[in-house]
Amino acid sequence: MKYAVVAQMRRPLVSIKRSVGLAILLLACRSLAFSQIQESQVEPISSALRAGEFDKAVELSRFALKASPSNAQLWTLQGIAYAGKGDGKQALTSFQRALKISPNNIAALAGAAQIEYQEGNQSAMPLLNHLLQLRPADPTAHAMLAVLEYRQGHCGAAVPHFEKAGQLLDTQLDALHALATCLVRLKRLDDAAATFQRAVALHPDDRRERHLLASIQLMAHKPEDALSTLRPLLETKEVDANTLQLASTAAESAGNTPQAVSTLRQALLLDPRNVSLYLDFANICFAHESFQVGVDVISEGLMLQPSAEELYVARGVLYAQLAQYDKAEADFEKAYDLNPNQSLSAAAQGLVAVQANDLDHALASIQSKLARNPNDPLLLYLQADVLSQKGVDPGTPEFQLAMRSARRAVTLQPALAAARAVLAKLYMQTGAYKEAIEQCRKALTSDPKDQTAVYRLIQALRKTGQKKEIPELLQRLAQLREQATQEERERYRYKLFEQDAPGQQPTQP
Amino acid sequence: MTCTRRTFLRFSLVSAVSMTAKQAFAQGVATHKAKPVVRHAPSGRPFNAHFVDVAAAAGLSAPTIYGGVESKKYILESTGCGCAFIDYDNDGWLDIFLLCGTRIEAAPPAATNRLYKNNRDGTFTDVTQKAGLHAIGWASGVCVGDYNNDGFEDMFCTYFGQNILYRNNGDGTFTDVTKAAGLLNDQPRWGAGCSFLDYNRDGHLDLFVSNYVRFSIEHAPVPGENTNCNWKGIPVECGPRGLPTGWHSLYRNNGDGTFSDVSQLAGIARATQCYGMTVVAADLDEDGWPDIYVACDSTPSLLFMNNHDGTFREEGVLRGVALSDDGEEQAGMGVAIGDYDLDGHLDLFKTHFADDANVLYHNDGKGAFDDVTRASRVGVETRYVCWGAGIVDLDNDGCPDLFMVTGNVYPEVERKLPQYQNKTPRAVFRNLGNSTFEELIDAAGPGVAEEHCSRGCAFGDFDNDGDVDILIVNLNETPSLLRNDLIGNQNWVKVKLEGVKSNRSAIGARVLAHYGGKTQAQSVLSQCSFYSCNDPRLHFGLGTHTTVDLEVRWPNGMVEVFKRMPVNRLVTLREGAGMVQNRGWLKS
Repeated sequence: MKYAVVAQMRRPLVSIKRSVGLAILLLACRSLAFSQIQESQVEPISSALRAGEFDKAVELSRFALKASPSNAQLWTLQGIAYAGKGDGKQALTSFQRALKISPNNIAALAGAAQIEYQEGNQSAMPLLNHLLQLRPADPTAHAMLAVLEYRQGHCGAAVPHFEKAGQLLDTQLDALHALATCLVRLKRLDDAAATFQRAVALHPDDRRERHLLASIQLMAHKPEDALSTLRPLLETKEVDANTLQLASTAAESAGNTPQAVSTLRQALLLDPRNVSLYLDFANICFAHESFQVGVDVISEGLMLQPSAEELYVARGVLYAQLAQYDKAEADFEKAYDLNPNQSLSAAAQGLVAVQANDLDHALASIQSKLARNPNDPLLLYLQADVLSQKGVDPGTPEFQLAMRSARRAVTLQPALAAARAVLAKLYMQTGAYKEAIEQCRKALTSDPKDQTAVYRLIQALRKTGQKKEIPELLQRLAQLREQATQEERERYRYKLFEQDAPGQQPTQP
Repeated sequence: MTCTRRTFLRFSLVSAVSMTAKQAFAQGVATHKAKPVVRHAPSGRPFNAHFVDVAAAAGLSAPTIYGGVESKKYILESTGCGCAFIDYDNDGWLDIFLLCGTRIEAAPPAATNRLYKNNRDGTFTDVTQKAGLHAIGWASGVCVGDYNNDGFEDMFCTYFGQNILYRNNGDGTFTDVTKAAGLLNDQPRWGAGCSFLDYNRDGHLDLFVSNYVRFSIEHAPVPGENTNCNWKGIPVECGPRGLPTGWHSLYRNNGDGTFSDVSQLAGIARATQCYGMTVVAADLDEDGWPDIYVACDSTPSLLFMNNHDGTFREEGVLRGVALSDDGEEQAGMGVAIGDYDLDGHLDLFKTHFADDANVLYHNDGKGAFDDVTRASRVGVETRYVCWGAGIVDLDNDGCPDLFMVTGNVYPEVERKLPQYQNKTPRAVFRNLGNSTFEELIDAAGPGVAEEHCSRGCAFGDFDNDGDVDILIVNLNETPSLLRNDLIGNQNWVKVKLEGVKSNRSAIGARVLAHYGGKTQAQSVLSQCSFYSCNDPRLHFGLGTHTTVDLEVRWPNGMVEVFKRMPVNRLVTLREGAGMVQNRGWLKS
């Protein structure tokens, strides 16, 4: 979900750039009103600018500068005139000359920053920072700086500037999206939802905006809010499958599995070829250990979408839960045939062998796929994990291979917490507790709920005599366990059955 | 809508090794899953112990009734019960006590606990009625100890419903003194593990009782009713996951035949989120005070460390014995305790469900443990549901071996999934002397390879021939009595302790046997294995060594050292008095 939202955010930044640019020009003109240059030199140039006669303004400024080449204000006016002509390069030169003479010239700073910003140059940033030192509350400068930081992926720096841009954003849908994206990245999901509320308020009938807001609300574990957001769409006659799919996810998250299933069925009737709907169904079946039902639904989907490799992968996973390993492997093989470039089915083939307790077969399967994709982090992680599960002893070539694979996996994909867990385990086996501690901490950064990482961290800290942190970690582990138990209890409230009679609902124990 | 797809894939694939397994198999009595580590080539070394089931010839002819045979409706029918080697008449020959369950519909005539008196000729006589021990119910565990210090071993039996304290009257009979001792529950509970221990070192045996789940037949869900009642897609009995946890009790011996519940005062009652099973009490951090380890099913196991002031602190996770090395809960059922690597410290071995490894914990001597399951090669075996276990020297080579019994909890599953048989073999893990083990099944004799659905087992020398025999409870079958027909001339010594200032049974005493430059630790226990109690005489195999020094750390703190003790005989040591005459030992 997070990535879906992020993808939606990339496009709009061009238009915010344009609107912020216009604002900067106005700012520059306002600043000139306070300049100290003589009326006789300035007035004709200003008049020409106000009249939109930029060529004339350029000529007048050039003439005036011959007499007063050290006059920063005149250079600034010339820069504005060039900018009005659309000659950004000359305008920037003029603004830079002005700033050399008078570094705190607000209009020149604003003008130069605007041009750099429009060109997409990061050199706009020091200019905007300088400008904000002089005018700390300037919303336009904050907005521009926020966008620049956002484009660099510095959400931590961008968000304060977005927030200081204040109401300027309220009319800028794209800026709101950018801010919300950053808030999601910073895991400030409630704030992100509030930001999307502002976007929905701008366009209450926009289906896409409501979908985005509902998605964020789901990420923030507020499924009831998501359902409220979607309600206007659900109450229309033209309800679409995407809306129903989101509503189903929300209902499942809210613990209302019967509603989730019924909504998803409605979505499937509207869009029976939508693969992701079948995957959602499989997801619910998986969560409620209704594996056979999941297999049957996915099989129906495959009749309509026989080339959907994701469906084969999903059905394979469900078969594996039913200990039908041959069928699982056949599905993973089919998925791999359909798309040899995705590593998931290749990994799954290995996993099903793991589940069937055939570690040698698992390793062979993973290694054959690794030969074709040697830098696939998932396969590298699995190779390390299977070797570790085989109980390879420290010092053996197999152990070294496991270590190398795990290290490579986390280098290629630093957020792959499972690989860090394996690496930490291998370090623990060799007595490299310091390194194990480091991996556990990094795994917890990716997944703060990782009980294994917390447990290993406790053991590694104990081994190194670092006991100060342990009581807090013990408490944290207990809380995570309690939380997991609660979640499991919720998840297991329902079980899905095949629908033999019309209207039959999943049962509640 | 990448959210749901992403979520699905996360749950089902990327983390399949951990998350999928955890969720898909989380019900029943298992959570954690482990793959068998690779087996090394056979050592080729002969194994001198050879086990033969002589139960029928010995007269152990009554089956252990326990729930349905073809299928189980409730978890109550599946967990089974323990047994004990107890010398109830002080004749120096081990007698046998076997617990029993019943059936949901009605108790069959054979359903009772049974006491078998040792006839000293390899046979036993059923003296249940005469001893006053006829009892019908869902029995779980037994622990043995002389709680009133009168010189005769008493017994405490846990039950679903009401536990029972049997006082040994010294005349071959027992009396149910539960009420008089103040041990009546105010409500039915599911008593599970138990152990006598002298936690406050006042010379009187106190009592710890673990409880499994809060359960009632009236309100229990039935197979298939919810997700906790399915296993690999097959409807099975529900639990323990999904059922409320039990809570545990510590009873202080008042010294006058009564007990007081000090669970709150001692800090035991704080541990509530666990399904308690077998209990062992021993001094694990070697501070002279007994600690308590409780194997817990599908929840973190508990280690109560003695604070020396009548209270305990629970430190299972911190000390590394609560969870798997992945930090996940396991289906802890049986516990063995012993010193597999001869470093003088008591290690732990805990048994688990199928598709998980039994775990071997190495003790650093300060009560901090390392999971050495993989390194020791114990992790090669994950096929069976494992229950009773021991760290015992089966071939007298001086290196304690591991032994475990197995048996499924879902008899109905094998009809659909033949790889999960209801009856499965026992297993020996022979100690190779380098902190690694080698699994032996057929090579250890027919008594090991035979398949049964077993639960508790007890270790002891019932025929007093200088080796360790094994008594095993088999559900809905007659028990097994594995006689060890040991070959070779390996040496051994048995140590019987009698407390004077310490409790008479010397429960909690730690004995260090020094031989061949090594030191082996053992402790006198009231319960271990699965809900069972071993021969109170500690058996040390000595290999080719012909002398042994013994160091006894008595429960009350006294330390006595006995140099160059004779081997191949029983040695009875009385606290403060040294070696005294043995009872009933003919071969010294």
